[in-house]
Formats: sequence, C-alpha cells, structure tokens
Amino acid sequence: MRTTRTAIAAMAAGVLALSACSGGGDAVDLDGDGSTADGQVEPSSDALVAAIAGEPDQLDPHVTSAYFSFQVLENVFDTLVEPDDSLEMQPALAESWEISDDQLTWTFDLRDDVTFHDGSAFTADDVVYSYTRIIDEELTPSWRFAAIESVTAPDDSTVEITVAQPTPNLLALIGGYKGMAIVSEDNVTSGDIVSAPVGTGPFSFADYVSGDHITLTANPDYWGDAPSVPGVEFRFISEGSTAITALENGEIDWTDSVPVQQVEALSGGDSELAIEPSTDYWYLALNQNNAPWDDVRARQAVAYAIDREAILQATTYGTGVLNQLAIPEQSAWFTEYDEYSYDPERAQELFDEAGFTGGTIDFLATSEYSETELTAQILADNLEPYGIDVEIRTVDFATWLAEQGEGNFDMFMLSWLGNLDPDDFYYAQHHSEGGFNFQGYSNPDVDALLEAGRTETDADARRDLYAEAATMIADDASYIYLYNPAVIQAWSPELSGYTVRSDGAIRFRSVELTG
Amino acid sequence: MGAVLTSPTLRFLLRRLAQSAVVLFGVMVVVFSLVQLVPGDPVRIALGTRYTPEAYAVLREASGLDRPLLLQFVNYLGSAVTGDLGVSFRSGQPVTALLTDRLPATFSLAFTGILIGLVIAVVAGTWAALHEGRVSDMIVRVGSQFGVSIPDFWMGLLLIMIFSATFGLLPSSGYVPLSQGLGPWLSHVILPATAVGLVAGAIMTRYIRAAVLEVASMPYVRTAKSKGIAPRVVIARHIGRNALIPVLTIAGIQFATILGGVIVVEVVFAWPGLGSLVYNAVGVRDYPVIQGAVLLIAVIFLAVNLLVDLLYAVVDPRIRLS
Repeated sequence: MRTTRTAIAAMAAGVLALSACSGGGDAVDLDGDGSTADGQVEPSSDALVAAIAGEPDQLDPHVTSAYFSFQVLENVFDTLVEPDDSLEMQPALAESWEISDDQLTWTFDLRDDVTFHDGSAFTADDVVYSYTRIIDEELTPSWRFAAIESVTAPDDSTVEITVAQPTPNLLALIGGYKGMAIVSEDNVTSGDIVSAPVGTGPFSFADYVSGDHITLTANPDYWGDAPSVPGVEFRFISEGSTAITALENGEIDWTDSVPVQQVEALSGGDSELAIEPSTDYWYLALNQNNAPWDDVRARQAVAYAIDREAILQATTYGTGVLNQLAIPEQSAWFTEYDEYSYDPERAQELFDEAGFTGGTIDFLATSEYSETELTAQILADNLEPYGIDVEIRTVDFATWLAEQGEGNFDMFMLSWLGNLDPDDFYYAQHHSEGGFNFQGYSNPDVDALLEAGRTETDADARRDLYAEAATMIADDASYIYLYNPAVIQAWSPELSGYTVRSDGAIRFRSVELTG
Repeated sequence: MGAVLTSPTLRFLLRRLAQSAVVLFGVMVVVFSLVQLVPGDPVRIALGTRYTPEAYAVLREASGLDRPLLLQFVNYLGSAVTGDLGVSFRSGQPVTALLTDRLPATFSLAFTGILIGLVIAVVAGTWAALHEGRVSDMIVRVGSQFGVSIPDFWMGLLLIMIFSATFGLLPSSGYVPLSQGLGPWLSHVILPATAVGLVAGAIMTRYIRAAVLEVASMPYVRTAKSKGIAPRVVIARHIGRNALIPVLTIAGIQFATILGGVIVVEVVFAWPGLGSLVYNAVGVRDYPVIQGAVLLIAVIFLAVNLLVDLLYAVVDPRIRLS
C-alpha cells in the first residue's frame, strides 16, 4: 500500500509540476473566476459555467421533451409571452395583445427590433411557421393547440390566433414552456436545429461536445437587456457529489445536480443554496380497472393508511412540502384541502366497508427515480397490517412507460413537472378522455367541470370551477397526492442576479459574475 | 520491428484478420439478437409523449423495424461494412459520428489508466517477487487483494474527495482534449485514470509477481547469478525481459477492458467517453447506438489482442508468428 500511496503522491506532484510548466498558475482556482485547475482559461474568461445533471437528447424545442434540453433552450429561444418570476404571463416577442369581444380572436403585436442569431429579422411569418409546424407535424407540444383554428399574419408585426371556443389559458399554453419557441425556418429545413439551434434569445448557440458540454455566447443584439456574462457553458455532470465538489472548487459557478442528502452539508459551506417549493408534484395512482381499486372506499383507505411524512422524509430529506392536491400553496390557483391524514383506524373501516380482506398490490417502480422504490418500501410497511402484500416491481424507465401505457400495474408513483395553468394539472390526468388518465378514472361531474374550466373567461368563476373539480378528484382518490418537491440549486457567491424559479426554468440572462 | 515484417508475419496477419472478421460477424449476430430480446419497444420510447398510433406506424416503417428480422440484419450488415452504423433513435445523429466523438476521451482515459496500472504493477509485483515470503511481499499481496476488491467508481469518489474536495488540487470532472495542451489534459485525466489504474494495477501486480517468480527460478537466471553478474542487471536483462510475455497478455486484456467498460467511472467523473454513451443509450433503448458501440468495442478488443501477439515476437525472438 505504501507503494500505492507514494505513487499517488508522485503523480500529484508530477501534475503540479506540469501545470506550472504550462504557464498557468496553480491548481484549482478557488476564487472561481472561471479558470480551472491548471490555470487553463475557459473559452471566454468570464463565461458562466453551469453544471446540469444530464445531457439533452437533442435541441429542437418542438421535438424534444427532455428537461435537460429545456434547461439550455430556455436561454436560446423566446416565446410570444413568458412567465415572470411569479409565473404571471408577460410580454416577450409579443409586445402586447388584445382579445376580441367574442373571445375567439387574439391579436398579438410583435416587437420590431428582434433578429435571429443568424442575423435575419424576426417577423410574424416566423410565428406562423413555428406554430403551423407544431400543428401539421403533430410535434410534442401540439396538444397545446387543440383549441386553435388558425394562426395568420395580417402584416409583419401582427399575429392573429383564432380559437374555436373561448380559451382563457391561451397565454399559458403558448408561453408556459420553451417547447412553444419561435424557430427559424432555415434552421429547421437545413436540419441544423437538432444540434445547432438558432433562436432570438439572450444567448446564441456556439458549440456542442457530445457527452461533455454545450457552450452559448451572449447575444449583444438581444431585444431585452443584453446579458452581462459573455457566455454560458453547460456541463453535464450527472453524479451529484462530483458537481458539488466542482462547485466548491470553483470549477463551476452553478448547479442543480444537488443530491438531497447533501443539502445539509452544503448549507454550512460558502456556496449559495436555494431550496424553493416547486410546482412539480409526486402522486400515487391505483389502477381503477382492477378490483378492489374500482371501489372508491378502497382507494380512500389507502390514502388514510399511508404515512406521508415518512415518505417525504425518506425521499426529499424534508426539503419538499406535503400536499393533498396538485397545485401548491404559493400558486394563485391553490385550493385548501386537508382531508387525508395518517389514520389507520379510518383506513381499516373503509377497507371493511369495501369488503376488502387482503391481497397483493403490483407496485410498478422504476430505477430511474429512486423515490418510487423508497416510497414502495414504506407503503409495503404501511399496508402490511391490512393484509396487503405490496410486490415491488422495479423496471427501467423505458419499460415503465410501456407498462403504464398498457395498464400493467395495480399502483405506481410518478411526478408531474412544470405545469402552470390548472388545466395542465387536471384535464389530461383526470378527465375520462384525458391522455394521461392511465389509472382509469371516470366521473361525469369532474369531466363537466374540467370542460367548463377550459372555456370560462371570468377568472373568479374559473378558479371556483377548478377548486370544485380538484376537491372531487381528491375525494375520489383518483390520484393520492403526496408532496411538492423543492427546486434545489447551488451557486458560487460570485454569481449575483440569479433567481430560482418554481417552474424550474433556468434563466441566465440577467446574472453577473464578480470576483 | 523491421525484421519481423517478413512474409510469415504477413501471412499471420492476414489469417488473424480473417479470423477477426468471423468473430465480428458472430458479435453482430449475438448483439442483434440480444437487442431484439430486451423488453421495451424502441419506437414507443422514441415517441414518448408524442405517441399516437399513426406516428407509431410511420416511425416504425421509417426506421425499418417493420421488416422481417433477417432482412433487417442483412441491411445492417451491409451498411456496417461501409462504416454506416445507422442513426441514433434519440438524437438523430449518425452513430459513427457519435462513436468517433467519444473515442479520444476514452483513449485518453484507457491509455493513462493502463500506464499508471503498469507502473504500479511492475514496481510492486517485481518487488514482491524478489522479496518472496518476507513482510514486504505480504504487504504487496494484501494491498493488491484490497485493490482488486475495491470497485473502481468508489476509488474515483475517494480520489475526488481527497484531491478535489479536501485539497483542491485537481478538477473533479470534465475532459480537455490533448490538443489544448498537455497540462490541462493531464490535470483532468489523472484522477479518473488513477481510479481505473489502481484497480488494473492491483490485478496486474499479482500476475507480474507470479511471472517474475517463475522466471527467477529458471536455470539461466541461476547461471547468470553464478557468473557474478550484478543482481540489478540480472533483474533488468534476464528476469524482466522474460517476464514480459505474461505481463503483455494481461496488460492487453486490461487495456481493452478499460476501453470498453469503465462505465461507472465515466459517470462519476462526467467523462465523455464510450462508457457514458452506452450507459445513456441502454437507458433509452437507443438500439443503433448500443449495437454500434458493442461492435466498436469488439473491434478494439480484437485489435489490441492482435497487437499483443505481434509484440510477443518483438519481445521474444523465439516466438514465431505462424
């Protein structure tokens, strides 16, 4: 062993000697000014280095559905409108908009000072092209256009969207996420958009090294305030402890690859740490096509039988917030609801009423999200006194999706990410015709409320509709809601002007790096 | 080397290349069949939330997955021969480009790793053999047993903890190409290569110790010693050279292993090599990438083996390539 240790020491010494030779200074730069271990200067000396937890699958915003892609694309593309820090829709490429009296025509006035990163001017035709592309090719966000009849460009700076029925959440639909980005037709037809996207955003795409990093350069002609950092380098570091070490060493300036286990240790260090409640939520779903889960009492019994606090601690180390409905407390659409608590007696009563005397639950878990395996173990313990044997079936996520789609489960746990409008939270999941209603829930009253919510233009009336629907959904235990996880991000003290957003979007347009 | 390249060598090379082609064909058959058996429908996964029966049918036809298996295989084989390994389901990029993008990083890691491993193994293994039965021998043997038992990714985390987190001496992650300078390249490669090299070194130490012990007991070594040649010269000229053959064999195998499969180490160090590419591809059932990577790794294995066999003849003229 002595040999080994000597060898390591010798090698470390060798490296230091070599770095000194390369003319760079010494070791890792602990001041975090962007230079790395050997004094090697980053492509742009003050570029922000951000570590994200995975690699984008591809960079076409209309096609990808990967969060890692949107973390990068958030900074490259613009939408007509976009959510501000409190998730209210604000002007972006559209300066202003008007709704016709019959609520069926939306007219958007576009900015006239916008150019794409390749220098070409942005016009209304680009909006028409982008939206038509999504609709005609049935791309990932096409469901957001379900209510849209036509998109036209009366002149270069005006876009008219006609809808089949009043659509109060239109702004959330077209601005809620970067999948609705306005793209350049040339970039699409050349096929480059997949690997070298051209947008109108605050940063332009510069370089992509597969498996390693993507580099963006500040767009000096950005229609908003031009970024103060000269660029952003997104590095892919999936191992959280590696990312944290890199942050503390000054190799990177920002990361969201933070394991919840490390939150406590990190909060004592020099790095800034943010733990913000998110709009994401985790839930359990029981297959209502299988007995006894077709009986609402059996589902409610499970809702009373589970120890949510234990699940929250195990999966988030207490960084998340318990929630009994989908929409979290900080949202304007929050509805008060606290029916379910850990109540074994009530659970037993309900199981008795449902005539359930025991059996097995095929719990579909996935190795992709350790939360599902942890929760399944707690559930197995919680449900054992009722004669329920929870059989945990852990598969990789690809198989998981296929099994969910085919209804091969009694129970599963998963999360929804980045929803904004209440329609996003409830329609696809709980309408009997909803595209993600894999649990087989059907309640005509809920269907009617969710349909009414889609077209109700009076904000208060709309809020009431969703409050009623949400309560019914929870009463029926269509989903058993668990908690809202936190958005956890850490950055260097030299980074300022950064805001953590509850929708998880990462915007570097207004940050500054000092030191 | 020049003297070795005679016509028997050429014949040997040609025969080995023909054998390699047969092996590669076998690899392709096996990988192609295995991929068919893995659960999860790649078309369904590629579509994800965009799934509709119509889109499914279109993509299935476009990717050729609706054709008979044999035809799919023949098509694949035909394109592979011309260097076309298909297109990634996930990113739409040509597989050949994805693989060649990752090769430099993988070679950097494997080459440095095997070098570190060899230095450790040659020093420790020879030392132990020459001190057979003594305390130092025991320490090396226990140490190598320890090294063999430790997973390389754990070694990686430990190294990050010591050299990056505690002392801030080296970067914890990332890859810098050699073209950007020796210093930057080395400072990034040294930790992952050490993690890999310590484990490979521990394995090789045992082989080298055994090889040196065997050679040291040979009559010609005794003869050399009895002629009064200095022990240092005996070790370097007589023992060292003759112990090189088994060392070459095990080093070759270790090198090829590192090239093909240090997946977790690559993930720990955010290293953009073949391992992390395969890791991601398996997760999303990116068949073309999995097939291409396995094929490439097989080619590397065969090439390294061939190289090792050629080196035998260089090291030991008694070995004839026939």
